[in-house]
Amino acid sequence: MTKSKSIKWFNLNRSLHRDIGYFCIGMTLVFAISGIALNHIHQWNSNYNVTQKKVKVEFLETKIKQSNFEHSLLAELNEQGIIKARFWQDENTLKLFIKNKTLFVLPKQNLIIIEEIKPRFLLRNLNFLHLNEAKKAWTWFSDFYALLLIFLAISSLFMVKGKKSVTGTRGFIILAGFIAPAGFVFYYAS
Amino acid sequence: MKYCFKLSVVIGYLLMFGINVYAKEINGGADMSKLTPISKILATPENYYKQPATISGTVVKVCKKRGCWMQLATDKAYETLTIKVPDGEMVFPMTAMGKTAYATGTLKAIEMSLEQTNQRLKMKAMPAVTKPMTLYRFSPTGVTIVD
Repeated sequence: MTKSKSIKWFNLNRSLHRDIGYFCIGMTLVFAISGIALNHIHQWNSNYNVTQKKVKVEFLETKIKQSNFEHSLLAELNEQGIIKARFWQDENTLKLFIKNKTLFVLPKQNLIIIEEIKPRFLLRNLNFLHLNEAKKAWTWFSDFYALLLIFLAISSLFMVKGKKSVTGTRGFIILAGFIAPAGFVFYYAS
Repeated sequence: MKYCFKLSVVIGYLLMFGINVYAKEINGGADMSKLTPISKILATPENYYKQPATISGTVVKVCKKRGCWMQLATDKAYETLTIKVPDGEMVFPMTAMGKTAYATGTLKAIEMSLEQTNQRLKMKAMPAVTKPMTLYRFSPTGVTIVD
């Protein structure tokens, strides 16, 4: 009687571990991919692709004083859309904003720098979730995911019986998983 | 089974797109009833260290990497006020550039040394001074970005 009961618990644990594991695949990929992307954001901007293009425009210092300057500049640069806002950053730099683009107008140098910002669709959204920009229900859903991960970690201890169980030499693998982060804390935080 | 898979893919995409719809209001958005011109705040900054106010202005610069700060143009030439949050508390999108932002929060004063003051002025191609300046930053609790 006791034996059959323990086998049922064993099977239930394995089934739950398997199905919850399947459910967690999506979320794990979201956090793992964005985790790498965010860890290395100083080396590579995973949120946006920012490009700059330099264009020489003759007689810019004269043209900027004309009333139709902005309209004619867009035409000359073959840029679509309307100028949403303008701002003199300093005496020598005027910023003109169009959709997802900033035009740096440098009249003294007869130069226009066109900076274009393109959000990277997948990584931007993954980072959005990882950093909990959504807040609200996403906070609760990601808490739920964290609880599921705790379940997966604990239930994995009871997945296998016998020689290959955690009570054997494989227990050292678990120990290594605790020692590694503790080692980093000891080395870097102390 | 195939139906379940297709349904989960559709839900996934809807969630991905849906998120962007709500991204214009950050942390519940700004409180429009407290709207105060930036010039008024900077004229009497000590009044706004604890008392929350809402500022507005064109977004002229955004932190490219973490989106942890953005600069709003004030009504004075060349002048901006930086809105800064601790990393991860809020994330300002780079696509906000050129849009109008409303931010509710309080002002923070950072006393700079003379060296720091002149370094900043040099970066802005402005002449050096002999007295250190105070740098003001705005710490928001809610932000709304309007196109």
